[in-house]
Amino acid sequence: MTAAVPAGDAERPVAVAFRQVDKWFGHFQALTQINLDVHKGEKIVVCGPSGSGKSTLIRCINRLEKHDRGHIVVNGIEVGDSARAILDVRREVGIVFQQFNLFPHLTILENCMLAPRLALHMPREKAETLAMRYLARVHVAEQAGKYPAQLSGGQQQRVAVARALCMEPRIMLFDEPTSSLDPELIKEVLEVMEELANEGMTMICVTHEMGFARRVADRCAFMDQGQIVEIASAGRFFDAPESARLKAFLSQILH
Amino acid sequence: MKFDPALALHSLPDMLHGLWATIALAASVVALGLLIAIPLAVARDSRHPVLAWSAAAYVIFFRGTPAMILLFFVYFGFGQVFGARDGFLGALFSNAFLCAVIGFTLNHSSYVTEIVRGGLLAVPKGLVEAAAALGIEPRDVFLRIRLPLAIRYGLKAYQNEVILFTKATAVVSVITVVDLTAVANNIFYDTYDPFTPLLTAAAFYWVLVNLLRIGLARVDAWLNAHLKADESRGQAIAVHSTARAPAPLAPLGEPAQ
Repeated sequence: MTAAVPAGDAERPVAVAFRQVDKWFGHFQALTQINLDVHKGEKIVVCGPSGSGKSTLIRCINRLEKHDRGHIVVNGIEVGDSARAILDVRREVGIVFQQFNLFPHLTILENCMLAPRLALHMPREKAETLAMRYLARVHVAEQAGKYPAQLSGGQQQRVAVARALCMEPRIMLFDEPTSSLDPELIKEVLEVMEELANEGMTMICVTHEMGFARRVADRCAFMDQGQIVEIASAGRFFDAPESARLKAFLSQILH
Repeated sequence: MKFDPALALHSLPDMLHGLWATIALAASVVALGLLIAIPLAVARDSRHPVLAWSAAAYVIFFRGTPAMILLFFVYFGFGQVFGARDGFLGALFSNAFLCAVIGFTLNHSSYVTEIVRGGLLAVPKGLVEAAAALGIEPRDVFLRIRLPLAIRYGLKAYQNEVILFTKATAVVSVITVVDLTAVANNIFYDTYDPFTPLLTAAAFYWVLVNLLRIGLARVDAWLNAHLKADESRGQAIAVHSTARAPAPLAPLGEPAQ
């Protein structure tokens, strides 16, 4: 798919590469012949109807799902069966889930310190400084001593972003990060994501927040039935969609 | 028949001796049971079929066998079945207390295995995924996320099992261990007063069980501090919704390196 890579991006190193990736759940084909290059620093928004394979696509990047055919390469590391390679990829790639998935028995600070302590063997004080820095960045530093259940959904999701950033990943994945939030809380999460984007993070976001996609995305991808149907710069994606399916989808969600 | 305080008082030293045997037995079995149950619970859901089936067979067999019959079997049967009359095994199987520990542990650990397993299965998959996605190795994901949460989920059921089991140790006198119930029975045989010694023993059981209950409730409160915090949130939300002027987000701080 040789679609609209913004000028300059084509020369940037590739952060995530999909080559002819197929994935089945039993007899159901979730991904069909996915080819995609995400360049360093690029922001890609993936949208599409539910069950179209968006989540599966990004969950294959850090091996939360196992692809059945083809190749996925993340910063030069082939995602495969090697446990070592999977750990290496996961330390390059942070992910934020729809359901926050904060560890309920740990405080906000402990949630953020856990991975640096266990995976990077960072000393306690250093991990704490790091965690507090990222909690401040997502504007929840004052909640550090509380437990997840004491926070609002928006605050929890921002903690989840901070927790992922504590591993200093070079790529961030977002799997419908605002879909389980009350409307009034969506904005604070999107703002944190935009700040991150402005700092040059490579981002792949599955989201239906079209305003966010327009403002932030370099390219938008539309998925349907496990395929990338159309991928284009945000402007062309919204204003001049080519495929009938994308046109229909956009008319459904942009009232 | 009436309660005889003088006899009760007179029997206290013997009763305390029996109580000590009951506590030593229960404590050993509870400790060993947990030690065995955690690896067994993991094995139950292992991907290796031999491991999974062995653990399942253990649970099915020992949970289905009455504790008293297990005690008989260990104490009277093992020595003969395995020809272990001499040497180390001989000494082991002629010690009634050790046989009681073994018999009860086989039974108790099979129950605890299912409690731990239920707890492990109740841990939301998303939490395990989140930990794995952070690059935490599977062993650490188990020790820091799955097991701590499983213990919290299983604690109430575990408390039940420990209390039931502690009282069930009363059958141990069938293999000659002199526990609290055995002491009470001996006093009955000596005095023909069944009422006083059994009531006294019952009082000791009651105190023991309630100390256990209070102890486990404290462990529960300590482990579930995060849920306590959640309950107090009702208030916090109320404050939140009235005083919820949309605070302007502070300008972005220093970007991290």
